[in-house]
Amino acid sequence: MFKRDKDPIVDVKKGLMIQDVRRKAIDDAPNSPLPKSYKVNELAHDLHPGHIKATLIKREEIGLNSYLLTFRSLSENERFPYFEAGQFISVSAKVNESIVTRPYSIFSSPMEALKGILSIAVGRDGFFSSYLIDIMELGTKVIIGDPLGDFHYNSLRDKKTIFGIAGGTGVTPFISMIKAIEEGSEDFNLTLLYGVRTKKHLLYDFRKLKNPKIKVIVVFSDERVPGYECGFITKELISKYIPKDSSIFMCGPDKMYSFVSNELSQLGIDKNLVRMEHNSIKSIDMENPHEFELKVHLRDEIYTIKAKENETILTAFERSGLCVPSKCRSGICGLCHTRLISGSYFVDSKNDHVRLADKKFRYIHPCASYPRSDMELDVPPLDILKEL
Amino acid sequence: MKKYDCVVIGAGNGGLAAAVKILLSGKTCLVCEKHNIPGGFATSFKRGRFEFEASLHELNGIGKGNLFGGTRRIMDELGVTPLVEWIQIKNAYRLISKKENIDFILPFGIDNIIKACDTLCENGGIEAKKFLDLSKTVYEAVAYIGECNGKPDKEVMQTKYYDYLAVSSYSVNEVFESLNTPEIIKNVLSAYWSYLGVGFDNMSFVHFANMAYSYFLMGATVPKSRSHEMSLAFEKRIHDLGGDIFFNTEVVKILTDENGHVKGVELKNGDIIETKHVIANISPHKVYANMLDEKAIPERAIKLCNFRKFAGRGLTVFLGLNKSPEELGITEHSYFVYNSSDSVEMYKEMSAKGHYAGQATCCLNNVNPGCSEEGTTILYMTSLFFDDVWKDVEEKDYFKYKNEIASHFIDEFEKATHTNIKDHIEEIAIATPVTYARYAGHPEGVIYGYENTYKDNLMARVMMVNEDAFIKGLRFGGAFGERGIGYPSSYTSGYNEARRTLKDMEEDSNV
Repeated sequence: MFKRDKDPIVDVKKGLMIQDVRRKAIDDAPNSPLPKSYKVNELAHDLHPGHIKATLIKREEIGLNSYLLTFRSLSENERFPYFEAGQFISVSAKVNESIVTRPYSIFSSPMEALKGILSIAVGRDGFFSSYLIDIMELGTKVIIGDPLGDFHYNSLRDKKTIFGIAGGTGVTPFISMIKAIEEGSEDFNLTLLYGVRTKKHLLYDFRKLKNPKIKVIVVFSDERVPGYECGFITKELISKYIPKDSSIFMCGPDKMYSFVSNELSQLGIDKNLVRMEHNSIKSIDMENPHEFELKVHLRDEIYTIKAKENETILTAFERSGLCVPSKCRSGICGLCHTRLISGSYFVDSKNDHVRLADKKFRYIHPCASYPRSDMELDVPPLDILKEL
Repeated sequence: MKKYDCVVIGAGNGGLAAAVKILLSGKTCLVCEKHNIPGGFATSFKRGRFEFEASLHELNGIGKGNLFGGTRRIMDELGVTPLVEWIQIKNAYRLISKKENIDFILPFGIDNIIKACDTLCENGGIEAKKFLDLSKTVYEAVAYIGECNGKPDKEVMQTKYYDYLAVSSYSVNEVFESLNTPEIIKNVLSAYWSYLGVGFDNMSFVHFANMAYSYFLMGATVPKSRSHEMSLAFEKRIHDLGGDIFFNTEVVKILTDENGHVKGVELKNGDIIETKHVIANISPHKVYANMLDEKAIPERAIKLCNFRKFAGRGLTVFLGLNKSPEELGITEHSYFVYNSSDSVEMYKEMSAKGHYAGQATCCLNNVNPGCSEEGTTILYMTSLFFDDVWKDVEEKDYFKYKNEIASHFIDEFEKATHTNIKDHIEEIAIATPVTYARYAGHPEGVIYGYENTYKDNLMARVMMVNEDAFIKGLRFGGAFGERGIGYPSSYTSGYNEARRTLKDMEEDSNV
């Protein structure tokens, strides 16, 4: 049996009195008011405000059929957070009866965000981009989802030099990186191979760059320009320009990914060493797509909506004007995480990024899933979209 | 207006357990969760080809066969156990401690531990046994007090659990001292202290002995598909039992009537839900400061908050590596890499900005080999800060600062284990107190609730739980609840608060 040097009986009495010790300590505590907030929590809010109400303040054509849209946050308390150059945001707006959310890489720099400015480059490639370019008026309110994504330099993960491969508006995250290096907010070297159709399509004047950390090689696919590379981004071009000991980042259209990935594998570069930004999942071309009925629970409200088999379930939600969350539109971020109550769906294995347990308990990412029957779904609503 | 018998705020471990328990009694229950998934910190997230466990290192109390503890009893009753695929962990931990030059693997099982300790010094086994025997009594006494709802029979306590009473007012260090435990035995048996988050000069022996004994005895477990599997299993039970969970739904106010009794909650979107019973799975600090009418808060509630000390604020570095554990030389699931085995020294060190004292690190592949693709490894390293050391970090320095800290963690792990990690990082995520503050909304990014200090120790809290419930219809579960941090503690406190709430409901109907 356990024995202390002191009389154990005294200890036993003490053991019965542990509440008294605590009670006394509470008695003696001050009754000063509790803090309403804490600095760490305020920083957390500044870095991740969630959704920011903003307005379009400027739109200019910066390359043929590509526009730079600049937003300003609507209130001082809700300014854009600092971010890591290369990340994307989401833009939500009301278009007719639809409530639409799309991801865009950030064009502006991290320091500009602290000044309340955030810009994106939009190419004319779909219904929402046409709205942003042709229809949306200056001053229109949008909701911006805060910056996200791993398509940025990380000093622990990446080599000190990034070898970027960009196509078309896929150059956007690299422009933000270039700005970040120039303003001193980030410190790494960037060698960028930028494939673009013609001189008129260029989104940025790289000739003005004087920083030795940045090197840009423009490759025109549709015209020959003296002093520039021409054609596709081939293994020859990659071998010619890839810096020793670099990490590879790639952003561009799916067609470029399949072509360049093939070239990279011929050079013996493991695909897991290439960081690719994800593209939005598109509708499938199909004649006379079948239409299904979706029963959608939003808290205790139930909506019945139509969904085409060739469009993602998220698209069906948006068409019906439901205020539901989404962000990356590529199956990855999980913001649209939804409980499947009944029904069947299709998801391309390359876009299937739900967690293991989500599969087991039947949760889906509507942004990557197409309906294959009538369905019943339980979706967490996003109330702030009602303010659009 | 919508009406429920009970509203649970927060679908963390405590909230989920509470909701299922309420629903099992046939009452109606709504869980409001501000995120879009359940679990709070019991979740997972994906980066590239890796699915990281967000917080669980190992789950205590699931056991196997007939040998199990409180966690399993609760999960059995709530119908969650069969919904989860469990994996048993082989060894307790590998302790690498710089100052004392220790590198030792501690197995699970009381006899195995005694045998292992016998190799450490003369009579090492016997000395370990003294500590373990005493811990066993404490473990059994705590279970008995729990069964008696915190009102044990004095006679039984003084006869059967005499040793418990003898030690119950002492700190861990005081008891080790009086047992004359050799330093090396004390060091290897006490590495677990950092999971409880108080130095041994200020941690009640009962608290440590109870947790450590159950851990050594039953071993530990992980769910196969990360803790997200457990959280979804709870969610499934809630749906199956007819309960509701509203996600992306933050409760901003707890409403009280003219008598100061709970009458409902207000959601961020302005909706009001009518209820007489709220189980808040969030911090009392937040509830009393921001969510209640000031008139409804008695002075003693504020005093209680001011008396308490926030426990550890978390930091975790998640690594997806492009080599297998064998290739990297990572042999164990669980590592404690400490600068020193002296918890008091460590605790002090972990309260200063920029200081590093140690880490608890897990290699998931070594317990769950299929957790990532072949030829890859999931490694995550966690530490705590015992003061608000992140408060002065500027927004624009944040990303750089967290990488600096993470870099140091990785260096220390590499040095201790003679591995090369840095050249193989394919994915990295770093959760800081800022991340935790954002995710759960707890003050200062605290993940450990209130410190289980000597004066605010587990047993005193349990016995005073009704005294600490100031507002009729409002109870607190989760990490800030009666039992403090840890998965078993938060499930248990949620479950217990539900039991007490059911009792409160009975009293309502008697009135």
